Amino acid sequence: MEFKDYYQTLGVAKGASQDDIRKAYRKLARKYHPDVSKEADAALRMAELNEANTVLSDPEKRAAYDTVGAQAWAQGARSGDDVRPPPGWNTGYEFAEGAPGGARGHFGAGEADFSEFFEQMFGRARTAGGARGQAGTGGGARAQMRGEDHHARIELELIDAYRGAERAITLRGARLNADGQLVPEERTLQVKIPQGVKEGQLIRLAGQGSPGLHGGAAGDLFLEVRFRPDARWRIDGRDVTQRLRVTPWEAALGGGVGVTTPDGRTVEVTVPAGSGSGRRLRLKGRGIPSGSAPGDLYLELDIAVPGAVTPEQQRAWQALGQAYPGFDPRRA
Amino acid sequence: MTPTPIPPALVELLDDAALDLNALARGCAVTTEWVHTHVEAGVLEPLAGGGAAEWRFSSTTLARARRIAELEHTYDADPQLAALTADLMEEVARLRRLVRDF
Repeated sequence: MEFKDYYQTLGVAKGASQDDIRKAYRKLARKYHPDVSKEADAALRMAELNEANTVLSDPEKRAAYDTVGAQAWAQGARSGDDVRPPPGWNTGYEFAEGAPGGARGHFGAGEADFSEFFEQMFGRARTAGGARGQAGTGGGARAQMRGEDHHARIELELIDAYRGAERAITLRGARLNADGQLVPEERTLQVKIPQGVKEGQLIRLAGQGSPGLHGGAAGDLFLEVRFRPDARWRIDGRDVTQRLRVTPWEAALGGGVGVTTPDGRTVEVTVPAGSGSGRRLRLKGRGIPSGSAPGDLYLELDIAVPGAVTPEQQRAWQALGQAYPGFDPRRA
Repeated sequence: MTPTPIPPALVELLDDAALDLNALARGCAVTTEWVHTHVEAGVLEPLAGGGAAEWRFSSTTLARARRIAELEHTYDADPQLAALTADLMEEVARLRRLVRDF
């Protein structure tokens, strides 16, 4: 198990105050927030920051961590060294919050994004925290607790929204072993993605979140849909915009042209005579499907100008110019 | 690793009015009071329903509410400031998609 130097992760001294830790975390969270950062490893760094902050911002967890860390450092360990917490290291510590990875305070990271080191140190405490909570309810009866929901993102192709798809999704998480400890677990789910998904929409997989405690129901797994970047299309809700390249004479004279739509079908559309670049043609109901309100497909005209290479082609363009003696596109 | 097949009956595409008050609160790991406060402040908007029992929220509202809760928690942010930041983040994402796609 790799020892994690949380102080180094946050760039603070070991004696840093809570205020210093909070400031350091906020500064780095702003830098590495996956939604705004341009750093290549932003998501990974954010997960590390979240983990470090979860421990160091909680006085109880920090004290426990320091106990382990002090021993490790005394033995000459540094990040990357293998260090295992000594048996009973956490005796006497109580953790106010059992679950280390709740949605709050963890940008871009799910419960699954904590390291094996974290799970080894605080996984047991998560269970203990739950048990302590029940003791407060009194009566000795163990109250059922619903498992936490998990959130993850899934990247799809646009055609998956049109046709539906089947995807294997690999998730890193944790499970309770026979001793009630949390141990890291990787699992792969085979999921049928329903037709009609749109960007930002959630797919709920019932019962695929954290397991419940004492017979409680398992939480759900929510998958937030993102579409893979594709230069062919622009997507807004269920509406899709596709560039349609046409020749100058198709744009000028109009006529039928064949178009392959995002669902792979070929349809014939009529380009109105006198169309300019950027004109949008709407194919109603040909966007992302939906039972009640399917989106529209917009074809945005892009006039492709062929080169004048041969003498014959050059003469043809010159003749075109002579046919429009007063035409000046630079004059409104 | 052999994938675990998820029965289609357990896969639900959340439509535009799928989440009630409790589901939204649970999805954000916040209390229902937190949701109440943010609806009253105009930070979150239910799609339907007059009283809290009838409120329905879209799944995109869940993603937005999670982001707002995270911002408030991490930066001790005022709800309106967190909402503004969440809006700007979503706008940045939308504009990046536009730049990226065409």
